[in-house]
Amino acid sequence: MNNPIASVFLLMCLTSASVGAAEEAWRSLSPAQQEALAPLSQQWDSLPEQQQHRLLKTAKRYPNLTPEQKQRFHDRLEAWSKLTPEQRKAAREKYHAFSKVPAEKREQVKQMVRQSQTKNAQQPASSVPVTQPSSQP
Amino acid sequence: MNANTNTPKAIAKLLTRAAQQLDDNTVSALHQARNIALERQSLSKPVFSLSTERGTRWLMPHSTHQWAAAVILLVATIVGGVNYWQNTQEHELVHLDVAILTDDLPLEVFVD
Repeated sequence: MNNPIASVFLLMCLTSASVGAAEEAWRSLSPAQQEALAPLSQQWDSLPEQQQHRLLKTAKRYPNLTPEQKQRFHDRLEAWSKLTPEQRKAAREKYHAFSKVPAEKREQVKQMVRQSQTKNAQQPASSVPVTQPSSQP
Repeated sequence: MNANTNTPKAIAKLLTRAAQQLDDNTVSALHQARNIALERQSLSKPVFSLSTERGTRWLMPHSTHQWAAAVILLVATIVGGVNYWQNTQEHELVHLDVAILTDDLPLEVFVD
């Protein structure tokens, strides 16, 4: 009676044990992983194991992204990897909190951010302050 | 008259009167019989109960083998539970990371 139970236990331990976060060299990554994590090719080998492990899991979702999302993913990946674990944790908490905000208010915030981005993009091009829309008093 | 003696009230009156007229031996025998009946009633167990000793004793391991099996099952359950929880947490973190990296709001909005 004991043997089958011990076998089940061992099997559970083997299957449930989390995959070891062994450091993986950039060359050992699959082409799909390399494509997803391309912006990190230079610093990949120096990243902590745990971060590599999580980035590899993130890369698994890369093929399902839209072209626009893929572009954003690549644009932000390097900056994201350079953040401290605490900064990333804070960012996740902020994003999680923001996702709980009603859709209408979320859209308002997005609109404000877009306006601010447009303003910032225009400023270096011409030092002239942005003119107010004519519809406003 | 006969109709009167058959009413419940009349019967109860007759019984009360008869009980009062019983001799001491009869009263004592009836009292004893009543006590015996009450004792038997209190001894009877409920048909189904979760808290009876006999109800849970069979679940306890009786031999060393059974104890070992129980401990292994318990440890396996705990390990499995912890691992499931860790995987769920990890899954949630990866989901958030991808969401932040692909959201239409820039990264700077979420990073201090």
